[in-house]
Amino acid sequence: MTAHVTCLGCGCACDDIEIVTRDGVIGDAKNACELGVRWFGDGRVPARCRVAGRDVSVDAALAAAADLFARATRPLVYLAPDISCEAQREAAGIADALGAALDSVTSATAMPSILAAQERGRASATLGEIRNRADVVVLWCLDPAVAYPRYLSRYAPESAGRTFIRVDIAAADEVATLTVLAAIVSGHAVDKASPTGPAWARARELAPRLLAGRYVAIVADAEAAADDTEPRDPGRASALIALAQALNGPTRAALSLLRAGGNRSGADAVMTSQTGYPMSVDFAHGYPLYRPHDGAAEARLARGDVDALLLIGAAALVPADVLAQMARVPRVVIGPRSSESPLNQGDVVIDTGIAGIHEGGTALRMDDVPLPLRPSVTGPPDAAGVARALGRLVRSRREVSAR
Amino acid sequence: MSQLRIAGGIVHDPANGIDGEVRDICMDDGRIVADVPKGATTIDARGMVVMPGGVDMHSHVASGSVNLARRLLPEEHDRDPMRAPALVDGEPPRSGTGGTVPSTFTTGYRYAGLGYTTVFDAAVAPLTARASHAEFDDTPIVDGGFFVLMGNDEYLLRQIDAGERDRAREYAAWLLGAAGGYAIKVVNPGGIERWKQGARDRTDLDTAIGATRVTPRAILETLVDAGNALGLPHAAHIHCNNLGVPGNVATTLDSMRAVGGRRAHFTHLQFHSYAAPDKGGGWRSGARDVIEYVNAHKEISGDVGQVMFGAATTLTADGPVEYMLHKSSGRKWVNVDLELETGCGIVPHTYKEKAAVSALQWVVGLELFLLSADPWRMVLSTDHPNGGSFLSYPELIRLLMDRTYRDEHLKRVNQKWLGGSALADGIAREYTLNEIAIVTRAGPARLLGLRGKGHLGAGADADVTVYVPDADRSRMFATPRYVVKGGTLVVEEGQLRRAPAGRRLHVRPSYDAAVTRDLKRFFDDRSTVSFENYPVGTLRDAPAALDGERGSGR
Repeated sequence: MTAHVTCLGCGCACDDIEIVTRDGVIGDAKNACELGVRWFGDGRVPARCRVAGRDVSVDAALAAAADLFARATRPLVYLAPDISCEAQREAAGIADALGAALDSVTSATAMPSILAAQERGRASATLGEIRNRADVVVLWCLDPAVAYPRYLSRYAPESAGRTFIRVDIAAADEVATLTVLAAIVSGHAVDKASPTGPAWARARELAPRLLAGRYVAIVADAEAAADDTEPRDPGRASALIALAQALNGPTRAALSLLRAGGNRSGADAVMTSQTGYPMSVDFAHGYPLYRPHDGAAEARLARGDVDALLLIGAAALVPADVLAQMARVPRVVIGPRSSESPLNQGDVVIDTGIAGIHEGGTALRMDDVPLPLRPSVTGPPDAAGVARALGRLVRSRREVSAR
Repeated sequence: MSQLRIAGGIVHDPANGIDGEVRDICMDDGRIVADVPKGATTIDARGMVVMPGGVDMHSHVASGSVNLARRLLPEEHDRDPMRAPALVDGEPPRSGTGGTVPSTFTTGYRYAGLGYTTVFDAAVAPLTARASHAEFDDTPIVDGGFFVLMGNDEYLLRQIDAGERDRAREYAAWLLGAAGGYAIKVVNPGGIERWKQGARDRTDLDTAIGATRVTPRAILETLVDAGNALGLPHAAHIHCNNLGVPGNVATTLDSMRAVGGRRAHFTHLQFHSYAAPDKGGGWRSGARDVIEYVNAHKEISGDVGQVMFGAATTLTADGPVEYMLHKSSGRKWVNVDLELETGCGIVPHTYKEKAAVSALQWVVGLELFLLSADPWRMVLSTDHPNGGSFLSYPELIRLLMDRTYRDEHLKRVNQKWLGGSALADGIAREYTLNEIAIVTRAGPARLLGLRGKGHLGAGADADVTVYVPDADRSRMFATPRYVVKGGTLVVEEGQLRRAPAGRRLHVRPSYDAAVTRDLKRFFDDRSTVSFENYPVGTLRDAPAALDGERGSGR
């Protein structure tokens, strides 16, 4: 049995999982939610290593990968989920050496909240602060049970003295409501103007309930839902931050923006520490340039501005729109279940283990708290090691060509 | 590692009583040695100034909050991209971005390019220590470590409330090792917890923290005593209550008296030396009161936290300070409350010559330097990036060494609150090269208890910086001709050529195992991180030795 295992099934990163193995296969993931149990699975993953569909050694595959990038003029390095921060750091180094674009899943799924935090800042807290301190918890257009099953039980359990406010309004009305709320809690005399309309009525009803809290937690999803029929206003994240900041005048408040699994927050943090930017970076000029809109992976792929892709991580967890574009470019895919993923017809396909199941290292919880990963079963080569080897190869080829 | 001789330079090695003597400095296998054979690589340093590598004892370069600041500042990074340096061998060169909070690799390169070879991050929440170690791993050349935030941590406050000071000390010992930190850091003792509870008023030495009997005074006593009892190489490193508040000089002096007679370090004192004589909102310099106290008390030390005009990023565990700054400047603001431990606040800031508060802050810092009687105990810092970037150190050195330049600059700044200040009345003092060597390397190394740093005696780490003398001291200190780190020539002819990995500086005091049984219960009850997942584990580099009977633990 392996105890205190961190689950990367979602961004909650519960670290109290007990993995029971039988004959090298995961038999039970105690304490895990349904989503977590699915994420751990039985721990069996493929261990193939292929070049143009033929099984080869890892060394041969890496040599072929280096060849592909030696020919490329507009490479893209993409951080997919389920890799450790250590693997992400190696991958960012490869992008730097190649003069490549570097991006992660974040640009396709959570860009508005990243950009809003760059414009406004944030009023936030780690999840334990919410658990220990929040007396008012606002679930903003969110049922955590769907994509974050243990969020409430671990970070905001029901208790005496804790009030839950469930806000469920149409996506089109969110920003107006948040903006009015922020104005009211800031003490602006909005009542005198007496505007009418649903946003005003709702905000007037909510404001005193928020202001009654000594420590208000506003919980909202930062991830775009895959089946989002009603697209969110791009100003939503900014309005949520503004409300949380405004509440810190009359009381204390924290916005908890939820992120999905696979160490996505780790990718943001690693890119930020090494380049200064959390996503959508371009090294083409020899240094990092921030291109959050036209330089995001999806936009680059869509306009044919990628002639070689290095994907590191679980390809199957990349959003479908991005994946469809990726399937059209020459590529090296290194990560868990690469050979069974929609990108398995790539030039080079190397299966690795899954961070947190077969591989150790570090991952960041959705609130940027770093946690150790404890492998519970053995698996194929680890992603960080494969990326490190590829980095060495790529750099030595570039040094040779520079001479 | 190869042997190296820096021949014929004018050596300033104040720790060994050498003040401008022409000498050879020899190195072998990463250490300073008495001599090396004739055939060793030789650098002709005739006419050049040779000092130990710089030691920054208070900076913010590698932490979760630093990384949030980086993320907040894309506009700064856009203006200051950095190509990968042309390294001749070894580690792969990396590009990055600068601004007031540079990316990791760029931070290492730029510190080394400035002649600094050791850097401490002064504020790391132990909850996020793993991220700090990862960032230091990506910060090349410099040896690095960090101070562990205490003084608003729930477990500690509970022990103090219960009168369990021995257990508080054992907890501090455990926590330093669990985080892989180097020293105890106290930030606004009790005041961050009060901010989390919603308080907006001042926190003074005897203000009760919430409904407990705990006071900032008790927190300071407990942690200062813990640092000394554990034989830590560096004293408890204290950021006092009421940072940035006019009139806070009283709090600062109260804090110093509270730990009277005991070894303690008071940091960025510039931000804590404001008088408020007229109660009408006016500010005045309180530097003279603070520095006179420090001058008269040999057991305490400080660093200045100088403010430099231009762009800065204020970034601190002291959340309530950043709330105030955001309210007054209207600039973007980050607040993150960290469970059970501390806070984090970030606001970009610009210090303007024409702004009354900025001008006063600039003057207060310079007064602390210029009225200090003992450079070994009042050392240089800008609290990077709070008072200004570490890249402004050369300009600060010029201000200290060149009275004419300083007085000219003083005329240009807002005079509103400068009346009666020592600097406005005229201070003739000019720092000597030897004093600069003390406040930028020998002094901080001694205060940190780094026996192998800050000097050039046999056995010291082979960290050496060679400058070309220049009447413009800013130019001289901005561009060293040679920098050697651990015996490796990292800067040659002013160009960064090698970037070896730095070492991690940390301590691992032994502790009474009983505290971990109690802590396990506390974690199970209060923490969202398993007790077993909290410690960072074994680090690559061995922990530093401790003074006294208490040895290093597991």
